[in-house]
Amino acid sequence: MTVSPHDRSVLAKAMGRFRPPPAFWLIAPSILFLAFFFVFPLLKLVAISLPDGSVEYYRQIFTTPIFLRVIGETFRVSLIVTVVTVAVAYPYAFAMAHGGRAALLVLTVALLIPFWVSLLLRSFSWIVLLQNTGLINDFLIATGLIDRPIRLIRTPLGVIIGMVHILLPYAVLPLYTVMKKIDLRLMEASSICGASWLRGFARVYFPLSLPGVMASAILAFTLALGFYITPALLGSPRDMMIAQMIAGQFNEQLNFGLGAALAVVLMVLTALAFGLFGAARSALGMRRKGEA
Amino acid sequence: MDRLRRVLFWVVVGLTAVFLLLPTLITVPMSFTTTSTLEFPPVGFTFEWYGKVIGAADWRAALVNSLVVALAAAILATVIGTAAALALHAHRFPGRTLVLGLLLSPMVTPVIVLAVGMYMVFSGWGLVATRLGLVLAHTVLAIPFVVVSVLASARMVNPSLAPASLGLGASRWFTFRRVTLPLIMPGVLSGAVFAFITSWDEVVIALFLADVRTRTVPIMIWNQVRTNLDPATAAVAAILIVLSALGVLLSYKIREARS
Repeated sequence: MTVSPHDRSVLAKAMGRFRPPPAFWLIAPSILFLAFFFVFPLLKLVAISLPDGSVEYYRQIFTTPIFLRVIGETFRVSLIVTVVTVAVAYPYAFAMAHGGRAALLVLTVALLIPFWVSLLLRSFSWIVLLQNTGLINDFLIATGLIDRPIRLIRTPLGVIIGMVHILLPYAVLPLYTVMKKIDLRLMEASSICGASWLRGFARVYFPLSLPGVMASAILAFTLALGFYITPALLGSPRDMMIAQMIAGQFNEQLNFGLGAALAVVLMVLTALAFGLFGAARSALGMRRKGEA
Repeated sequence: MDRLRRVLFWVVVGLTAVFLLLPTLITVPMSFTTTSTLEFPPVGFTFEWYGKVIGAADWRAALVNSLVVALAAAILATVIGTAAALALHAHRFPGRTLVLGLLLSPMVTPVIVLAVGMYMVFSGWGLVATRLGLVLAHTVLAIPFVVVSVLASARMVNPSLAPASLGLGASRWFTFRRVTLPLIMPGVLSGAVFAFITSWDEVVIALFLADVRTRTVPIMIWNQVRTNLDPATAAVAAILIVLSALGVLLSYKIREARS
């Protein structure tokens, strides 16, 4: 078979089309690496959770009271932690955004120091602070608020304190980003128009800060769902969260199929919460320019 | 009324700052106590607990493991992540958003899910209880931080410099080495510091992948915290806090050097 010049040029064109662009060689290692060591393990979990395509493990999870209770508990704790975190983060971010340079510097340092100290160490510190002979109980007794140490670790309260502490920086930063763009003169304008401070805040400032509230709430909630270290160290086995149950299936029960199914459930819940995050961001027009 | 509101506001903000700092601040003094239990305020002053930690063979072995794993993961993640970030920055190609999503998704995947998934896969590949397994796992966690950091750095570079270098006849490799890389260096280095700290602090995956020989410092702390709380743990915590602080300082210095 002969190849005419025309055929050759067509062939060259086709070959040219298949020549990988320069970006390919830069991006290929990362995709390959993550495919092998990130995506494949996640797919493997899905496969293990569906032996021979049977949904038995999922049926078990959604019909057994103990699993439903743990999933419910995970939602309950995550929701409480989210509400508390955002409520505490709001005035803090406000002070960072509108409190002047000195306040911004001090508050940023106070926010970032714990951010850089490992989660494990912070949970350790909370155990020390919250134990019966710890600083918090000593302080409460010294002030006469209580006369006997109250139990703080191995309780839901201890877990909530520890989780709020870890999530605060994540909640403050999106709030601050939104708040620093809000013009405080709008509040002055509302007060000149005769509105009280509270009314001005509720009708002018708060609605403008809402994108930040949404972003920080969803971020805090998404992260809270997967917490393992803090509830394991500060909570009691009775208020177990889903991550501890997953670990237990692999470490103690050695029921890999069930553990994998629970992990898939957590993964889906997290993805849903994060999808909500994306939807809320675009709905509120927060999408930053130039970023995919 | 206005004044009262202002005072109340700053009291709330101040208390929040104290709440944020308290756990870190009490740990360091507690490591100097002469008592055998954790006391705050500490009683007396001794370096005994530091000596105990540094003198113990298992802590030293864990420290070596942590350093080796974190260094290797930081280097691997920095190379892979920087290359990917450069491609994402310089080229618009189909599926770009999808690739960026993939690169960042380890950051939002619950670590426990990754840990059990990697455990199942790595045990089939003989990677469980090896340092290599830990390095690969921690690299996955660290890649997003490098990508974010390098992308941020690349955005600040004048986009006409690389084409200018190519137009003046420099090869692609020369342009990368002498023009692009020096300009994005601050992002690469702070990404590397982030990657190192990510691995250095990581405990959940290490709990599943490491054994007695390959266990890292966070695993030792985890075991200590679960069994007995003694000032030696506070000493380790203090050492780690100082190391993290040095890392942060380093990354800020790098960022400063940018200007």
